[in-house]
Amino acid sequence: MGKRGGEVRISLQTLRALEAFLENPSEELSGADVQKRSGLASGTLYPILLRLESAGWFVSRWEAIDPVSAGRPRRRFYRLTPSGLARASEIFASFGRGVLV
Amino acid sequence: MSEHEQPTAWAISRALVRCAARQAPPGLAQRLEEEWLADLTARQSALGRLRFGLGCCWATRVIAREFGVAAAASAGSASGQQLLVSAGGYDFSRLSRRTVALIAILCLHAGIFYLYLNGFTPSRVVDRIDLIHGSVITRNRRLDQPRLLPVPTLAPINDSVPDRIPRLPAQPPAITVTHSPPSGKPLVQYPPPKPVNVIMGGPAAGFPNTEDYYPSAAQRLGESGSAAVRVCVDPNGRLTAAPTIVRSSGLARIDQGALRLATAGSGHYRPTMENGRPVSACYPFLIRFQLENQ
Repeated sequence: MGKRGGEVRISLQTLRALEAFLENPSEELSGADVQKRSGLASGTLYPILLRLESAGWFVSRWEAIDPVSAGRPRRRFYRLTPSGLARASEIFASFGRGVLV
Repeated sequence: MSEHEQPTAWAISRALVRCAARQAPPGLAQRLEEEWLADLTARQSALGRLRFGLGCCWATRVIAREFGVAAAASAGSASGQQLLVSAGGYDFSRLSRRTVALIAILCLHAGIFYLYLNGFTPSRVVDRIDLIHGSVITRNRRLDQPRLLPVPTLAPINDSVPDRIPRLPAQPPAITVTHSPPSGKPLVQYPPPKPVNVIMGGPAAGFPNTEDYYPSAAQRLGESGSAAVRVCVDPNGRLTAAPTIVRSSGLARIDQGALRLATAGSGHYRPTMENGRPVSACYPFLIRFQLENQ
């Protein structure tokens, strides 16, 4: 459950979602992209994304297209915040995995 | 596989996603619907789209539990960050999945324990079915006008109808057996027997001494014993038949001596008396041979 103070319950699925972002921390990923990299099911992934976003680890924005002209819905892109990146790096460092920031 | 190749799967997946998104908190429903529909297009196979739609249904349940219903205040917000920051004041669910599972397990155990105490008897189940049926009837009845059940008129019981179990009379009839003589003659009426006063006979005065008939061989060998002899005596005290041994002494010489003594005593027996009159009768008496030093 995400909290505004940044405290997030870290589960194995949360680590897998974070790992998808840590390959390139400045990259923006949609839910479909994270799902491809992490292999998480949609029922597990989207609550994690919302949880981390509400905790301030992620920021998100809509894709800058016109859905009518593009003929498809807009995608939602997620990106690690500096604080989220720092927290994720600490967590993975505690598991013995270094992350380049 | 394109959308045109699997229109049914595509339509079902879209319906699942839309339905799942509408079940989300109001502040997140529109965003999740657009986001999930966009991610749904990234799926290539029909099965993957169906799995995605079902996963969105599950995600909605988790999101609704975690973010509650207070997102309505932030509905229409363009910024997702602002939306989720406002969601921090949502009414979070107080029961986690683990707690709900624990409660369910406890309820299951309580139910099994209750069935164990009641013995799993089907009769109790039948009783409960009857109770439920009765409650339905009571609900449909108008309480302001109580209905009185008609008193049934019972037909008198016809005793003439034979029962399967025969009824026994209160007092069984006496069974009379009539015996008629084959020749037609009346039965001979015998007078009731009169009581008879009998005094058994025995050795009388002048009966020979026992020592005179003690076999000498038996005396030398130290044999001694008693033998019961049966004698038949006429009214004059004489034997009418030879005496017989009715209980042996176990020694042949003693038994022979007893028979010779009983035979020699003929004429010296006291006859049997019936109502004060001597009659011929047979009776036993005991003869004992015993050495002096014993």
